[in-house]
Formats: sequence, structure tokens, C-alpha cells
Amino acid sequence: MLEIRNLHATVEGREILNGIDLTVRAGEVHAIMGPNGSGKSTLANVIAGREGYVVTEGEVLFDGKNLLEMEPEIRACEGLFLAFQYPVEIPGVANLYFLKAAVNAVRKYRGESPVDAMDFWDLVHERMELVKMDESMLKRSVNEGFSGGEKKRNEIFQMAVLQPRFAVLDETDSGLDIDALRVVADGVNALRGPERGFLVITHYQRLLDYIVPDHVHVLVNGRIARSGGKELALELEEQGYALYNEEPGRARRAAA
Amino acid sequence: MTAAAPVLSDRHRPAFDAFMANRREPDKLSRLRREAFERFEALGWPTRQQEAWRFTDLSALQSLALQRAADAPVEAAALPTLDTAIHRLVFINGRFAPGLSKLTELPERTVIASLGQVLAADPQAVQNQLDQLPGLAQHPFTALNGTFWEDGAFIYLLPGAVLDHPIHIIFHATGGDTAVYPRLLVMLDDGARANIVVEYRGQGRYLQAPVVELSIDDGAVLEYHQLQEEAPQAFHLGGIKLQQGRDSQTQLHLMSFGGQLARTDLEVLLDGEHASCMLNGLTVGRDNQASNFYVRVDHAHPHGSSQQLFKSVLDDKARSVFDGIIHVRPHAQKTDARQNSRNLLLSKQALAQSNPRLEILADDVKCGHGSSTGFLDPNAEFYLRARGIPAAQARAMLVYAFANDSLNAIRLNPLRERLARLLAGRLALDSTEEDLTS
Repeated sequence: MLEIRNLHATVEGREILNGIDLTVRAGEVHAIMGPNGSGKSTLANVIAGREGYVVTEGEVLFDGKNLLEMEPEIRACEGLFLAFQYPVEIPGVANLYFLKAAVNAVRKYRGESPVDAMDFWDLVHERMELVKMDESMLKRSVNEGFSGGEKKRNEIFQMAVLQPRFAVLDETDSGLDIDALRVVADGVNALRGPERGFLVITHYQRLLDYIVPDHVHVLVNGRIARSGGKELALELEEQGYALYNEEPGRARRAAA
Repeated sequence: MTAAAPVLSDRHRPAFDAFMANRREPDKLSRLRREAFERFEALGWPTRQQEAWRFTDLSALQSLALQRAADAPVEAAALPTLDTAIHRLVFINGRFAPGLSKLTELPERTVIASLGQVLAADPQAVQNQLDQLPGLAQHPFTALNGTFWEDGAFIYLLPGAVLDHPIHIIFHATGGDTAVYPRLLVMLDDGARANIVVEYRGQGRYLQAPVVELSIDDGAVLEYHQLQEEAPQAFHLGGIKLQQGRDSQTQLHLMSFGGQLARTDLEVLLDGEHASCMLNGLTVGRDNQASNFYVRVDHAHPHGSSQQLFKSVLDDKARSVFDGIIHVRPHAQKTDARQNSRNLLLSKQALAQSNPRLEILADDVKCGHGSSTGFLDPNAEFYLRARGIPAAQARAMLVYAFANDSLNAIRLNPLRERLARLLAGRLALDSTEEDLTS
């Protein structure tokens, strides 16, 4: 489903990703772990197509199509979703209206007519329950004045409404208390299925107690240092990143 | 009526003489015109060396020899309507057009008429009320209006009169290098309430230089909406004088969309305790449009409140100026005065200027001002695009969101909806109105 081959990427001229190879098949959940500054978020942003992240070598294929040639909105319409590490506040754009615009953009791309208002409302309500979101959040501006936990829940809520085929969760667990973490994990687990792939990026093993991955990769200095099963996460929890981290945070330091 | 004589050129005096030679009106009005003309002659044409006109480029206007506009037919279908407005006054080239107006079902204790109609029926009423409000004495175009005005709208509510429906006033100019000087006189006696929508519009090249006098007595409430949608080649140089009595409340919504050069000078005098005034300005500019608001709010009594929010959205080489003064007199304690200007630039060549000023002579007041100018937030744009929304639509959504709270402050639904459509259309960012407003 997602194939990353020898991916090198720079930010402001500095090399952050240093040759990543990773394949995620439909139905699989992969976790990417790693110390601060190892390139985890860069990987997420490169996949989503954020400006300023320059791929210098390698390729990313999404169902065999060259993802890197697509505009960010085309990637989304093709079924890719990024849950942001720092969801953006957009004053003046109501959450519900924003979601509807997104759903209709994807439908238009697929050649479908705009969503029926009643169907949309039903879908929204069903998904709201999944992430235990209050209806009042629909009328508020996107993420404006939301707490950290509400913002992350809103990301999962959007994912649940848009139902992407592949989702990247960029440190969705950071800053969450245990209840919020459960809600986020429940949302993800409800969407798990044979047709859908996930890349869960996290600094802590904690999230993986709730979202149990099929594969775990350790990212160090912009490259995958080790891959394994879910037990690798536990090992990291015990031993930390020190084993892999001869030059801790090299990328982050270089970027500073 | 007069032959075509220049009413705005270096030969002002002959133009004035020709204009006056044909007027039949009470001596007092002629005297007011003469005084206004002398004021204009003393002030002269504004130059950019003058502080008040430093940022207003009048050279394109000055190069024209504008004529008095002749009567011209305008089809009713060419003019906008407002669903809920029962009372409608239309002026073509500054002169009343009874055939396009609707003044039936007038409520009691209320006069809604053209100045010409009132002059014919009760000349004293016009003589006693016109040019009575202080302010804008240094404004040359207000002086020109005082000289050359021909007609206008006259709205007078007796104490306690309440109008349920908005009064819709349209000033339409037909162009051909003409100068038009519309008038609007609004008097709300104690406790009266009214809701007014004024539209400036037209075709071709012309100048509209209106003067609006709003006299709001104790406890009266006015909602005033001004939609400046002049033709792309037109000039708009307007003056508004607002005087408020004790416990009065006003909301002024000033929407600037049209014209190559538009400027509104507004002078507010809060002339009674607990008077409150809300100013909601929005400029939407593109191409080479320039739009200026010059605002002075004078707190003359304690416990007054004034809230100003002026926004602009500028594309291409459009420019906006907001110049605002809050003046608090020494004994106007407990004043609450806020002023905010926010500008969104859609192009690197657009320019927004903000000159907020406080002159506070009392010591127990809450006053504040703020100003911000910036481009669209690239993070917000990326966020929308990452959800599948095309770049152009994402930008339009963000611009619309920026301007929308200015529209949301307008309580008059049909007008707000029309403005929302106008705004969506003006964004011209490959998005349908449906994309933005549904």
C-alpha cells in the first residue's frame, strides 16, 4: 500500500531523512519510534506534502502511484490522511463546514456528487460518538480555543469522517492524559481493517499499549536502525534509545 | 436647469455662479451654499503635503473636469432590492427618482422623504436641520457638497417612533465624468429607532461626494449600513457626521467594495453620558483600488463607549488606509473606547496602512487600540489542503473567514446574505459561492 524507498529529504538545506526504506501493506499498523530529532515528523510531513520538505533522493509510492508528484490535496483525495502533531487553529471556519468541504472535495475528486445533507449529519453524529466529542465542537471554529486533547480528538474525528485508506498519526499521543489517549486509540482501533493501513509515529511506547502495532521501526538519525514486532516497543521502553543513539538528536541539533 | 458647467475644476467661481443663477430656494439655504463655497475656496484642493491627505492620491480625480450630471433614465431592474425594506428612496445623479422609489405605508410620527419634497412642503424643516452638526469643517469635499447638493434623503422620527423595517436608500450615478453630491439627513428624536441601508453605486466614471448627517437624540437607536459599491472607474469621497445624545446607541456598518478611489471621513461626537457607538468597517480591494477610512471619535461625556473594528482584505495592488483618532475629553471619565484595525494581504504588492491614535485627557478610562497586518497563514492553508480541499478553495475559505465576522455583526439578514454573496464573488478564487457559504 505504502512503499518508501531510499528516501532522503532536507529541510532548509539540512539532510534530515537519510535513506528510509519501509513498506506498509493494507491491513497493517506500523509504529515508528525514535528519539527527538530522529526525523519522525519530517517523514510524516514529507508523506503529506508539506512545503519546505525537499526530497533529494528516493521515492514514495501509494498503491503504486508516485505520491511525491501529487499536491497535498490530491494525496488526501487519493486516501491519505495526516493527523497533525500540531493541529492548526482556523478562526472563522466552523468545524462542521470545514469537514463538509473536505468530504465534498474528496467526493468531487472521485467524480461523485456532493454529500447528501442528512447522510452527512448521520455520519458526523456516529463518528462523534466514537471519539466522545461534544456536538458544540462542530459549530466552533476549527481547533480555535480547543485544549490539546480536544485538538487531537478532533484529528481522529476528522479521520473517522473522511475514512482514509492510509493514515499517518504524527505524535498524536503527545500531551494527552490517559483518558484522552484511550479515546484516540479507540478511534484508531475502530477504523482498523483489512483495507486500511496506519503509520503511527510516537516517542513513547505508551500509545502502543492501546494501538497494538504489527511492526515497530526505530528511527535514528534519519534512517531505520531496527525493525521488529510489537515486543520491540517494550524493549525500547526498558532500555531507552541509548543503544541506537550514538549521536543523539543529530538532526534536531543540525536544524537548530 | 443649468447647462453643463464644470463643478470641480480650477474655475470654481464661474461654476458656482452658474449653479446659483438657476436655483430657486429660501435665502437661508443659498447662504449656506455660499458659506460652504467660501469654505472650499479657503481650504483649496487638498494636497499630499496636508497630513489629512498624505495617503490619498487625488491626482487622477484632479485631472478630470467633472460636469454636473444631467438627468438619465435608469431601469428599476438595474437597482438592488432589499426584501424586508418597505421604504425605498432612489436618487439618480443626486436627484430624487420618485418612479423608482417607494414611500407608501409610512408609519406615524415619521417623515421619510426627499429633501426636495420637504422643501416644498415645509422649507423651515430643511433650513433648520441642514448643516447643523459639528465636524468635518476642514474637509473640502464636504464643503463642495454643501455648495452643490441638489437633493437627498430626509428621515425624521419623532420621539419614541420605532421603524420595524429598514429604510433603503440608493444613490446611483450614471457616469460620463460627472460630479454628484448626494445628501442624507437623519434625525432620531428621543427614544426613536431606525434601521437604514445606504448604497452608493453607478456606472462609468464619476465622483460621488455624499454628506451624511446623523443626529441621534437621547435614548435613540440607529443601525446604519453603508455599502459602497461604486463603479470600478468611479471616485467616492464621503463625509459622515454623527452626533449622539445621552443613552443613545448606534451601529455603523461601513462596507467598502467599489471605486478606484474611495474615502470616507467619519466624525462621531458622543454628546451625552452612556452614549455608545459601534463602528464595523470592511474594505475589500483588488486591482489598483484604494480605500480609506478616516475616523475621529470624540468622547465628550462620561460613561461613553465606542468600539471600532476596521478590516481590509487586499489583493493585487490594492491599498487601504485606516486613520483613527479616539479623543477623550478631560471630564469624560469611565469612557470605554476600543479601536482595532486588521488587514489581510493577498498579494505582496498590496498595501495596508494603519494610523491609530489616542488622545486621552481623562484619567479614569479604558482605551485601547491594536493593529495587525499579515498574509494568509501557510499552516492553515496546508491544513485545509491536507484534508483534500484544493489550494484556491482553501485560500478563499480563509479569506472569507477573515472577513466574515465583519458581516456577522450585521443583524439585517437580507443585507448580510447579499454581502456574503458579494464577498464570495469578489474573492475570485475559483470557488463557487456554495463552497464558501453553505
